[in-house]
Amino acid sequence: MGSMFERLVVEPLQKLLEMLIQFLPNLFSAVFILLLGIVISWISKYILTRFFKILKLDELSDRSGISKMLSRGGIKGSFSTLLAKFISFVIIFAFVIISLNSLNIFAIENLFEKFFLYLPNVFIAVIIVIFGSMLSNFLGRAALIASVNAGFKTSGLIGKAVKLTIFLFSVSIALEQLGIGKETVVIAFAIIIGGIVLSLSIAFGLGGRDIAREYLEKKVKGAEEEKDEISHL
Amino acid sequence: MNGAILRKEIHDRISDIGEADILVGIPSYNNARTIGHVVKAVQTGFAKYFPDKKAVLVNSDGGSTDGTMDVVQQTSLEDFQSVLLHHRVEPVLKIATPYHGIPGKGSAFRTIFDIASALNVKACAVVDSDLRSITPEWIELLIKPLFDGFDYVAPLYHRHKYDGTITNSIIYPLTRTLYGKRVRQPIGGDFGFSGRLARHYLEKDVWETDVAKYGIDIWMTTTAIANNFKVCQAFLGAKIHDPKDPGADLSAMLYQVVGATLGLMETYTDAWKGIRDSEAVPAFGFQYAVGLEPIQVNTERMIERFRLGTRELMDIWKIILDKDIVDFLLKLGKTETKNFFMPDEIWVDIIYSFAAAYHRKVIHSEHLLKSLTPLYIGRTASFVINTWESDARDVEEKIENLCVHFEQKKPLLIKNWS
Repeated sequence: MGSMFERLVVEPLQKLLEMLIQFLPNLFSAVFILLLGIVISWISKYILTRFFKILKLDELSDRSGISKMLSRGGIKGSFSTLLAKFISFVIIFAFVIISLNSLNIFAIENLFEKFFLYLPNVFIAVIIVIFGSMLSNFLGRAALIASVNAGFKTSGLIGKAVKLTIFLFSVSIALEQLGIGKETVVIAFAIIIGGIVLSLSIAFGLGGRDIAREYLEKKVKGAEEEKDEISHL
Repeated sequence: MNGAILRKEIHDRISDIGEADILVGIPSYNNARTIGHVVKAVQTGFAKYFPDKKAVLVNSDGGSTDGTMDVVQQTSLEDFQSVLLHHRVEPVLKIATPYHGIPGKGSAFRTIFDIASALNVKACAVVDSDLRSITPEWIELLIKPLFDGFDYVAPLYHRHKYDGTITNSIIYPLTRTLYGKRVRQPIGGDFGFSGRLARHYLEKDVWETDVAKYGIDIWMTTTAIANNFKVCQAFLGAKIHDPKDPGADLSAMLYQVVGATLGLMETYTDAWKGIRDSEAVPAFGFQYAVGLEPIQVNTERMIERFRLGTRELMDIWKIILDKDIVDFLLKLGKTETKNFFMPDEIWVDIIYSFAAAYHRKVIHSEHLLKSLTPLYIGRTASFVINTWESDARDVEEKIENLCVHFEQKKPLLIKNWS
C-alpha cells in the first residue's frame, strides 16, 4: 500500500518538483528579461519622443500629409509620439520573444521560428500600404484640383475615385505580399475596377447621351466653346 | 563666357565679328510666319537709330521645323531709303543658332547672353518673335537708355484694361511691394539690358532649373532690381502679338509665373524684407493713347468656376488661409452675380497667405499654386464687374489702389514668412 502510494503520488510529485526546480531559473530569467524590456522600452519612449521633437518630425509629417492621414484613420496624437510608442512597443515585443525563448519550450520555439520567417512580409506589406495611402492622397488631390480647374462639376467624385483606386491597388499588392488569397485578391481587384468602369460607362451612356453627343460633335466638327478673350499675362 | 553651350560654327562667327556695340536677341520656336517682320523692325531700328554702331542680331531657336531660322537669314530691308534719313555705316550682322539645354525661353536667352558676353557688347535687348506691333522705335527705346547709364529697360505698353490680369492683380503689385520699384510690366517679354547685366545673368547658377524653361522674364527683372542695377522703363505703345494657344492652361500659367515669383522671394529674402516703400522708375518714350478693340468676357462662367472651387477645394484652402478669409469665400460663393465683389484687402490676404504657405511648404507647391486658380478667376470676375464702365485711366487707378493695399499689408507678409 505504502509503495503504491509512493509510486502513484510521491514519485510524480517529486518529478514535478524536480522539473519545477529545473524550470525555475528559466522562468526567473524570463521574468527578469521581460522586466528589463519594459524598463528599456519606457526609457526609449521618453528619449525618442524628445529626440523626434528636436528633429521637428511633426512638422515634416504635417507637410507630407502623414498627420492628416493618421487623423483621418482615427489615430490621435502627434506623429513623433506615435512613432516613439511604436518603437517602444517593438522593443517590448522583442523582449517578450527573448523571454519566452529563454523558457526553452519546443512548441513556442517552433511557433516563433515560423512567425519570424513571416515577419518581413508583414513589414513590407505595411510599408506598401503606408506609401499607397500617401500616393493616393497626393494623386487624388492632384486630380481634384485639375478637374476643378477644368470646370468639371463632378470634380469631387473624380478626386475620390482616383484616391480610392490607388489605395485599393496598394492594398491588393500588400495582400499579395502577405500571400493572402493571391489570385482571389487580383481577381477581386479587377472585378471592382472593371465594375466601376462599367458602371460609369453605363451611367454616362444612359444619363449623359446628350452631353456625350455634344462633346463628340465639338471634337469632331471642331465647334469650339466660346472663350474669354482676356490675356492673362 | 560659358562657351560650352555654343556650337563651333558660332564660335567661329564670333571670332570673325570680334566685338560689337549692340546686340538684339530674338528667341523663337516655329515662328516663321511672324519673325520676318520682327527681324525687319530690328534691322531698321539699327540703321535708323544706331547707324554708326556695330550691331548684331541673334536668333536663338528652339529647334523649329517650319524654317524660322531660314526666314531670319533671308530677311533683309529692300528699300532703306524709304525708312532712313542716313545710310548705315556699319553692316547688320546676323547669327541664327539653335540653343542647347532644357527646352524653353530661358535657355534661348542664355545663348543670347552668352553671345553678348563673347562679343563684349555694351547694350542688348530681347524681343518676342511673334510681335505684330514692333516698330524700329522699339529698338531705340530699349537700347538708348543703356548708353545713358541704365542697366535694365523694362517695357511699358498700352494694353486693354482686361489684358495682363495676372500681371495687374499679382505680379506687378507683388514685385513693386517686395523690391520697392514700380516696374509696371515686370513680365513684359521685351527688355533692354547692359552688357554688364548680361554677364551678371550668366554668372547665376539657374540654367538647369525652371528658369531655363519658364519664368525667365520675372527672373531678369527681379535679378536686376534686387541686385541694385539701374532700372528704367520705355513706352513702346501697344503690344500686339500672334494669338496664343487658346487651349493654354490657365492653371499651368499661374503655376509657372506665380511659382517663379515666389521662388525668387526665397532667393532674395534679405533684399525685400527691409524695403518698406516703393518708388517710381524713370520712364522714357512719348506716351500716347492707343485704340484697342473691346474684348469679350463671360463673368457668369468665371463666377461659376469660382463657386466650383469653393465647393470642392475648401479643404485645401483651409490649410492655407485664415478662418475669416475662408468664411468670406464661403459667403461670396453664395452671392449672386450682380453683387459679386472681392475687395482688395481680401485679395492681398489671399496672395500673402499663398506666399507664406509656399515658403513653409504646407502642401506640394504645384497643388498649392494650381489651387489658386479659382480664386484668381473669382478676383478677375469681380474686377471686370466693377470696372465694366471704367476707362483705362480709372482701371489704372484701381490697380494703383491695389498696390497700396499690398504695400500696407507687407508687415503681415514678413510676419507670416518668418
